[in-house]
Order: sequence, then C-alpha cells, then structure tokens
Amino acid sequence: MNTNVVGSRVIREDAWGKVFGQSKFPADVNLPDQLYGVVVRSPYPHARVRNIVTEKALELAGVVTVLTAKDVPHNSHGVLFRDQPVLADYVRMVGDPVAVVGAETMEIARAAAKLVEIDYEVLPAVFDAEQAMLPEALPLHPELKPTNVLYHMPIRRGTMEDGWALADVVIENEYNTQHVDHAFLQPEAVLAYVDERGHMVVQTATQYAHYDRGEIAHALGLRFSQVQVKTLAVGGAFGGREDISLQIIAALLALTTLRPVKMENTREESFYSHSKRHPMRMYYKTGATKDGKLVAMEAKIVGDAGAYASWSINVLRKSAVHATGPYVIPNVSIDSFAVFTNNPYAGAMRGFGAAQTVLAYESQMDLLAKALGISALEIRLLNHFKVGSTTATGQVLTGSIPLDQCLAKIAPYLQKGDGIL
Amino acid sequence: MKYFQPQSVREAVEIAQTSEAAFLAGGTDLVLFMQTGKIKPIALIDLGKIPQLKMIRETEGYLEIGSMATFAEMGNNELIYKQAHALWLACHTMGSPQIRNQATIGGNLGNCSPAADGLPPLLALGAEVHLVSGNGDEVIALESLLSRTPLLAQDTLIQGFRIPLKGFQSGFAKLGRRRALAIARLSVAVAIEVDGNLVTQVRVALGAVGRRAFLSEALNQDLSGQEINEAWIEKGVEQVQRIVREALGTRASAPYKRVAVSGVFREALDSFITEGGSNA
Amino acid sequence: MMDIKLMVNNKPYTLNIEPSERLLDVLRTRLGLMGTKEGCGEGECGACTVIVDGKTVNSCLVLAAQANGSEITTIEGVGNRRKPHPVQKAFVEVGAVQCGFCTPGMVLSAKNLLDKKSKPSDDEISVAMSGNLCRCTGYDKILRAVKLASQEGN
Ligand SMILES: Cc1cc2nc3c(=O)[nH]c(=O)nc-3n(C[C@H](O)[C@H](O)[C@H](O)COP(=O)(O)OP(=O)(O)OC[C@H]3O[C@@H](n4cnc5c(N)ncnc54)[C@H](O)[C@@H]3O)c2cc1C
Ligand code: FES
Ligand code: FES
Repeated sequence: MNTNVVGSRVIREDAWGKVFGQSKFPADVNLPDQLYGVVVRSPYPHARVRNIVTEKALELAGVVTVLTAKDVPHNSHGVLFRDQPVLADYVRMVGDPVAVVGAETMEIARAAAKLVEIDYEVLPAVFDAEQAMLPEALPLHPELKPTNVLYHMPIRRGTMEDGWALADVVIENEYNTQHVDHAFLQPEAVLAYVDERGHMVVQTATQYAHYDRGEIAHALGLRFSQVQVKTLAVGGAFGGREDISLQIIAALLALTTLRPVKMENTREESFYSHSKRHPMRMYYKTGATKDGKLVAMEAKIVGDAGAYASWSINVLRKSAVHATGPYVIPNVSIDSFAVFTNNPYAGAMRGFGAAQTVLAYESQMDLLAKALGISALEIRLLNHFKVGSTTATGQVLTGSIPLDQCLAKIAPYLQKGDGIL
Repeated sequence: MKYFQPQSVREAVEIAQTSEAAFLAGGTDLVLFMQTGKIKPIALIDLGKIPQLKMIRETEGYLEIGSMATFAEMGNNELIYKQAHALWLACHTMGSPQIRNQATIGGNLGNCSPAADGLPPLLALGAEVHLVSGNGDEVIALESLLSRTPLLAQDTLIQGFRIPLKGFQSGFAKLGRRRALAIARLSVAVAIEVDGNLVTQVRVALGAVGRRAFLSEALNQDLSGQEINEAWIEKGVEQVQRIVREALGTRASAPYKRVAVSGVFREALDSFITEGGSNA
Repeated sequence: MMDIKLMVNNKPYTLNIEPSERLLDVLRTRLGLMGTKEGCGEGECGACTVIVDGKTVNSCLVLAAQANGSEITTIEGVGNRRKPHPVQKAFVEVGAVQCGFCTPGMVLSAKNLLDKKSKPSDDEISVAMSGNLCRCTGYDKILRAVKLASQEGN
C-alpha cells in the first residue's frame, strides 16, 4: 500500500473553488420558476394542534399552497426511530414545524407564514430531565417508550463495597453541562425538484445523503430509486446536519406543486431547526487510596435528549463508556440515561457524548489530587490507561495508548504555570 | 418606500419635514431593524451624500465632528487621538472593522442603545450636540439631550458634535464577552483636568448600566479638586461601584456589574495617553 | 423603485431596485454573484463581506441604494485559477480553508488589508480579520495564511 500521503502536506483540491467563491452551497443554486418555502414553527414546547386556518395566508397574492400534517403521506422521520413529524400536529418542542407556505417570492412566503392561524391546545411541559424521569411525568413518546426514559446503559465492574472499603479519599460532586449549538456558518438550505425522469431531486448540504434519501422516500411514499439526494458544498456541520431539517418539507412542496422549491433558513430558524449537544447532569463519586490509586467510581449521567430521540442512545452510550475517562478503576458502577423532555432535541455533536463527561471525571481527578496533596499530573500518571489495561466495559487495550508520552510532553508547561500544578 | 439622497443639510431637513421619512446614516442599526420589521419607514433620507457631515476639524476652542463620521474615520484621526482620546479608544473597540467602516457617530446617538460605545466618551469630554430641524439650529449639551424623551423629533437632524478643547486627558474601557464584535456589558469613560498633582475636574460617564449612557455628577464632585494617588483611585473605585449599585438596583446583572466596574474603571484610567501628561 | 449605478468588479451596472433591497441580495439575486454568502444577516459573521470604495463592509447591513455610485469588489473580482491573488494562494497552501463558507469574506478582508498595508504586523492582521467568523479552522491557519500572503506579495 502506498502511504506517501500519510503525514505529508496535501492541498485539498476543493479549496480552490472556495477561495474563488465558485463552490456552490445549497443557497447558491436556483431554478427558473422556483417556489419559495417558509416553515411556520410552534412557539409552544408542548401542544396539540387543534386546528389550522390557512385561508388568510392563501389569499395573499403570490401564495401557491400551505401544507400541514394532513398533507404528508407518512408523517415521520428520524435517524434511530421515526419519532419526529415532518409537519407536526402534536408539538413536543418550540420550533417544531407545523406548516409550510409555498409562494412566488421569499418575501411573500415569509409574510404568508405569519398569516397561518394555528389553534394550539397547550399542554404542560417538562424541561428538566430528572423530573421527566419521574413516574408521574407525562410520557412524550408513549408509542415508543412507556416513560420518558429512552435509554438506560448500566456498566458494572468489580464490587463497589470492596472499592469503597479501599478508598482513603472519596470525592462526590454534581456536574452540569448546557445545550450547545453547532452554529455551522452556513444556515440550512435546500433546492428540491421533480426532474425529467419524474424523480425527486434534493440538493442540500448534509452529512448523511443516503439516509436523507431513505427518509424522503419514506415520508413521501416514493421508492428509494425515485429519490436522488445531491450533496452540495457543506458549510460546516459538526454533527448538526445528521438529522433531516428542511429536506423532506422542500421535497413535499415540490411534489405537491410540481415546481422547483427553494428553502433557506435564516440564522434564527437554523437555531430552531437542528439538534443540539446534550446537556448532561452527572453525579460522580470517586475514591482513591492514599497512594493516589483510583479504586472506585460511581456515576449517574442523565442526558437531556429533548423532544426527539435522534442519536441520543448512541450519545449516552458513549458517555457511559467514557465515564471513567482514560483511567483504570477496578470497581465501577455507571448508569447513563437518555431522557425525553420538551427542550430542543439533542443529537450528534463533536465528541458524541464523550465531551461532556470530561468535565466531571477530570474535575474529580483534580479534586482527588488536591485532597491527597499530590499534583494533578501525578494522579494522572498513576492511573492512566496503558497497553494491557482493562476499561470499565471489560475491554483489554492492546493498541497504541501513548498517554504517558503525551503527559510527559505537556508536563514542563504545566509546571511552569503559576503554581497551580 | 421612497428614498432621498439630499446634497445638503437644509435639503435633508426640508425633506424630513414633509415626508415622515427616517434619516439613514450607516444603516448598521436601521437596516437591521427594517429587516426584522421592527421599523417600517415610509421613506429614507440617506445622509451619505452630504460632505459637510463627514468633517472632523479643529475650530476656535472646539473639536468638531460631523454626525456622518464613521468609527473607522474617527479611529484613524490624529486630532481625535490627541484631543478626544476616550472617543478614539471607543472607536477601536466598537464592532468589527466592517461595522466601523459603516457605522457613524450620529447613528450611535440616533439609535441611543444603552450600550452605545460612542456616548460615554462624548459625555466625559463635555460634548455638545448641534441639531438642525424645521425650527432652526440648536446646540445643546449631550447630557441634557440624553434626558429628553423622545430623544429627537422625527425631523431633527444631528449635524454633529463639538468638544470644548480644555486640555482634558481622557480614557475609555469596555467590558465585552470577547474582543471583537462584543456589545458592551459595561463601559466607562473618564476625562480629567490636571493641575500639577491636583485633579481639578473629573468627569466620569458610564454605559450599559441603565437605559442610556449617563454622566455621574456625584462622582465629579467627589473626585475633583484632589491629589491623584492610589487613595484617589481607590476612592474612585468605591464611588463608581456605588453609582452602579444605585443605577442597577435589583436587576439580574447588578451583582456582576457592581464588581466588574472596578476593573473597568481602573482600565479606563490606565488607558490615558501617557506622554506629556500625568498618568493617573 | 429607483435606479442605481454600481461598478461591480470593474463592470458598470444600472439597476432598477427597491430602496429596501440589501446590497447582499442585489449582488446575489440580481447579479448572480453567489460568492458573497449570508451566514447571519446581522453583521456578526462577515461571510457577506465585500469591498465598497476601498472599505470592507457587511453587505447584509448595507442597502444597495446606499452604494449608489460606488465601486464594489466581490470575491468574483479577486483572482482566478490562472492568476490567483496571493491571499487566495496562501489560503489554499496553508490549509486555511475547510468548509469554505467563510472563505470569500476572509479573502476580501485580507486582500483589503494588504492593499492598504503590504507588511502588516501580526496584531494588524488579527484586527483586520476580527470581523470574520470561522467555525471550522480555529483561525490559526487563517492568520498564518494572511501572513504568508503578505510575505509573498512582495
Ligand atoms: C454586528 C454589530 C455590532 C455592533 N457593535 C457595536 C458596538 O460595539 N458598539 C456600539 O456602540 N454599537 C454597536 N453596534 C450598533 C451600531 O453599529 C451603532 O449604533 C452605530 O453607531 C449606528 O450608526 P449608523 O450610522 O449605522 O446608524 P443608522 O443605522 O443609519 O441609524 C441609527 C438611528 O439613528 C438615526 N440617525 C442616524 N443618523 C442621524 C442623524 N444624523 N440625525 C438624526 N438621526 C440620525 C436613524 O434614523 C436611526 O434611527 C453594532 C451593530 C452591529 C450590527
Ligand atoms: S451575513 Fe452579513 S455579517 Fe453575517
Ligand atoms: S472554513 Fe468553515 S466556517 Fe470557515
């Protein structure tokens, strides 16, 4: 195998098109006679749509159609479960799409979107994942799960009593992280049209073209072979373009009107319409001997999945697997949960659940070191994974684990600091 | 919507009287408000083609700044650097290069956001505002103008500002969430007149601690006529914290800003030009 | 509606527009110059940066009417595959381009800086680029690319 390229500096060929401004992002493509689509989103976090009156919007000159839940052949999509409506008649978060307006210009479509009258029956909402876990909490997806606990991942290793018996120091704390938006620089945009073959063509920026194709086909009742998704230049994604945003809605408009359809999110709409990083509440209890060896750790991690499942199971699984950090701990008990709430739905974002737990386990390490009177570097050197270590999930590590080299490299910088280490 | 591009101030005011139009300077506030539908003007009077409004010059005893001077132009101006240093500093922390190329000092006052960066320096420097309307010309101290509601009548044009050249030294500091493109959470402008070791006059103005930027009279009295030294600075810090506490009351940001202002105040003092003058 | 004259990338245009149209929309939809991007629509990101009469501005905050009579440079007016501008070459060589959505605005801010000052200091480069957000690269390579371009421009 030729490995010349590995480790060498290569020029990415697409960079040329980008420095000349030639690369086409989905907002940059248009077709003659295209319609413009604008979504009407729910201002309520939990509500049943009682009735939608579209007359006023339709009376506005230039408005071609207003579509709602009843116009979607199969009204669901989602990466793990199809638990997310294309157009909602039951709203689970602020920003859920409830209707879409198709009009001759973007301005008209935006004006008409304000004229769509939606009667909501507002329902009680839950914004705290632990409250949503309580038995009396109203389940948000009863067809999927009887309670709001979408996922529970337990990890057990060793014997906790033995571990705590060995511990000379125990640190116990609660850690919280918040929602984070990917804020990729290019807001979502789509151009959808029915081509000369009668196929649905959807041009968009996506991380997941083949999945998009399946979901568009499913929702519209088409065969896979009748749907083509073209990925144009992707203006940043970071996980935020794994779920479907405007793709099905634009395709639905195009199929209904048989005209090309252009949709473009404003930055504000973009914030409403894609996933977020999971906020996590993490209860950690970690014990070490007076020599600085970790002996026991108990962690409960509650991930706020928000309104829809998206990748929550995979994300909270990763949180559980990474809950000890890169440290050997013989006695471990981890429980990780993904829980539905009426918050914005959470999904993939850089690190995929491994990023949040860092806050907890590394803070625990610092606090243990402090309690033991050793340096933050020492406690890590004493406990980090090496070749042959066994992780909490029972995996024996055989590959390259150059953490010692990494710590050796940064040690001089750490010690130069203002006495913190 | 109608669009006018008058060539003179008089023409602009005449159009304003008859058309219910809004004045358009750089547009960094107005265009955004139009975009979001917050303001729906019937007509716009673009002031961009009136050369007189762009002038920055020294006349007898005054530094004059036209309302259409942009933050970039003021930030590149030698006179402003020397004679209105607080304003010069504000110009460099305001917005981003693109915003500074577009945004004007007149628009800063016209929009009059609580966090407007141009206003505390102008207040501290004792600026007066030259207004022109159907009723003629008016020159008014900025601090008096800022107590009016509404700030300006629809047909009143801000022609410019004039800062009396009294040899004040001045500085400015701002607390933002990051270095560029950060709306001020808090800003402090300080101007002092020094005689030997004595501070004969002190003018401190604060931004983002109330509805509009304001000049603190109490501070001026408490800190004037004294010797500059560490104790004076400490007294200043104490006083400025008290002012912020009084201004913010029970607002959520109060506990934070009350503490933060001491650092911002010290930074403002540190930002004076040092050469040829005392550095407080 | 009103008539305006613009000189865009050295080409004269006379356009009949609504006074409320943003320069960004006129460039993109009326002139088809899609290299100017809209990332935020409110002056925060700099993806819509163009040069108007020698100054960078956010075209999402400028009315086309305000630019009447102006000379405008968009990314389409800067370099091409046969003769890339030193900034464009440096961005490619250093790897300052990832998704590329911020790139046109970045290139214009950098070009404008070098037009005014061929040998800017590191600080001047940071300030000149401070109105352009990038979510992908982490800025280090972007600043390095501008530096490299300033060295090569000689
Ligand atoms: C991304 C971004 C960042 C920003 N950062 C800052 C910042 O750091 N600090 C800060 O202070 N501001 C900031 N601003 C706000 C804005 O740029 C300033 O308020 C600016 O000074 C407005 O000037 P303008 O020329 O653009 O005004 P315009 O938008 O043209 O006008 C603003 C208002 O003033 C009126 N007006 C303008 N000129 C006159 C006149 N001569 N006579 C009478 N009325 C007039 C207009 O009718 C309008 O109501 C920022 C804005 C944006 C979009
Ligand atoms: S689109 Fe103009 S600054 Fe972001
Ligand atoms: S390269 Fe993606 S935003 Fe800069």
